[in-house]
Amino acid sequence: MSPLLEFYGVARSFGERVALDDVNFALERGEFAFLVGPTGAGKTTLLKLVNREIRPTAGEVWIDGVAAHTLKSTRVAELRRRVGVVFQDFKLLPRLTAVENVSFGLQVTDLRISDQEALDRAQDALDAVGLGDRADAFPAELSGGQQQRVAIARALAPQPPMLVADEPTGNLDLETAWQVMTLLQDVSRFGTAVLVATHNVEIVKRLQRRVLTLVEGRLVRDQPAGRVGRLAWAVKS
Amino acid sequence: MGGQVLRPAFPGRRTLLVVIKNAVRYLVRDAARNWVRNLGSTAPALGSMTILLLLSGIAGLGWYTLRSATARASADAAVLHVYLRDDAKQADVDTLRQNLAGNPRVVRVTYVSKADALKKAARRPGLPDLTAVADPNPFPASFDLMVRSVQDVGGLAGSVQHDPAVDPLLPTSYEPGAYQRLQQLLTWVGVAGLVLMLLLAFVAVTVTANSVRAAIHSRRDELMIMQLVGARRWMVRGPFLVEGALTGGAAGIIAGLVTLIVGVSVVGIGAANFAQIAPGLTTGVAILAGAVVLLVGVGLGSGSSLLGVRRHLET
Repeated sequence: MSPLLEFYGVARSFGERVALDDVNFALERGEFAFLVGPTGAGKTTLLKLVNREIRPTAGEVWIDGVAAHTLKSTRVAELRRRVGVVFQDFKLLPRLTAVENVSFGLQVTDLRISDQEALDRAQDALDAVGLGDRADAFPAELSGGQQQRVAIARALAPQPPMLVADEPTGNLDLETAWQVMTLLQDVSRFGTAVLVATHNVEIVKRLQRRVLTLVEGRLVRDQPAGRVGRLAWAVKS
Repeated sequence: MGGQVLRPAFPGRRTLLVVIKNAVRYLVRDAARNWVRNLGSTAPALGSMTILLLLSGIAGLGWYTLRSATARASADAAVLHVYLRDDAKQADVDTLRQNLAGNPRVVRVTYVSKADALKKAARRPGLPDLTAVADPNPFPASFDLMVRSVQDVGGLAGSVQHDPAVDPLLPTSYEPGAYQRLQQLLTWVGVAGLVLMLLLAFVAVTVTANSVRAAIHSRRDELMIMQLVGARRWMVRGPFLVEGALTGGAAGIIAGLVTLIVGVSVVGIGAANFAQIAPGLTTGVAILAGAVVLLVGVGLGSGSSLLGVRRHLET
């Protein structure tokens, strides 16, 4: 079986500035990997390429057999349904409850899902992230960690083969961050590939999962799971 | 004893119902809710579009009236009335009739006696009172000529004006240039109206596109989430088109109703005074104009929104 995510010689420039340069890597189904590097290294740019928010200047990006680098804008939605996204600032709709936020994500991507089915699946997703009892709470009534769990539930509810998270613990204390990371690790165990961009050295070291290190737009190191020692970028910065 | 026949919903049909329900909710209901909520920011677009549609409706009625008048004038222009002297000799009248009937430029010659002329005049708007008091009959007898071409009318009028049977003071109904002047007026009114409408349409489209921009800005979080979770493009854009259609529809209803009222009023005033203020204009035409204004409003609103969405909404 071919990898779920493949980058071949990917480069991306913004005018004169080179954000990514000749990036090559692959991610298998159910694999968990960290994307690390100093600020401005190109982590967010790489994640935006996965979600086809931007196109590469050069190279190829393949996701679940779909060529994201040549994908027409009319078919982007199709690709995005295969990639769940989690953000540092959660991006929940404040006027909707937790369960409504999750079911909203389900229904706007598939109109065939009835209200009851959407609510059931949303409730299941919230149960899975340990927030089943706070389904009727509004985002403002939840802590940061709980809001991030709702965001993860929303990303997972459509059962995408891949999940990308951009600094998902950036706004959380260490204890809550650890819980969220553990949750993402559990997600990968159920077959969803997870790619997490983070600055949190402590968590990266403790989890001992695969680490992709970006420095100045180049993939300088690809450390396999269980062999994560010194993080060059962390020492430098 | 027969049991009750259960007819469970066909799954395909149930799915279709769910799709329709969700589409109505996310496209129509949410759009309507947002439209009402953002009415303050939509007001300039609504106002400019109402003015545009109102002026278009009124101008359309005016243009239709003018066109009807021109068409009537065109038909009248091919008819030449040759007025006869009250004291004309019967032999001169017969000779003139023979000459006219033998003229290749004339299609048909009809004799209208003084009595027939009076009857005709009595049927004209505003003239019944005049004909009632007029004694003796002031209307002359005439030959009504159906001319083969409008261009021949002038030459034919010139050829009969010195005939002994023809009235020397008012020989014919020929009025040089009247028809051409009407045609010219119609052209100028059409061009001026078109330029004005294009200008107003540009203003209305720009204002509406800007109000869509404001609506996109106010819902940017929701739109971003929809796009990132993989909502289809029409799901993201659709509500804005519906909002635009609502703006255009509301403007169209206001302008259409005013157009209808103006049209029906003009028809009513004309009927009350037995005068043709707007030739060709009927209640049916006024209703049609109102409906067209409404449809144009919906189309213009949706089109302007599409323009705004294409320009301001990234995917």
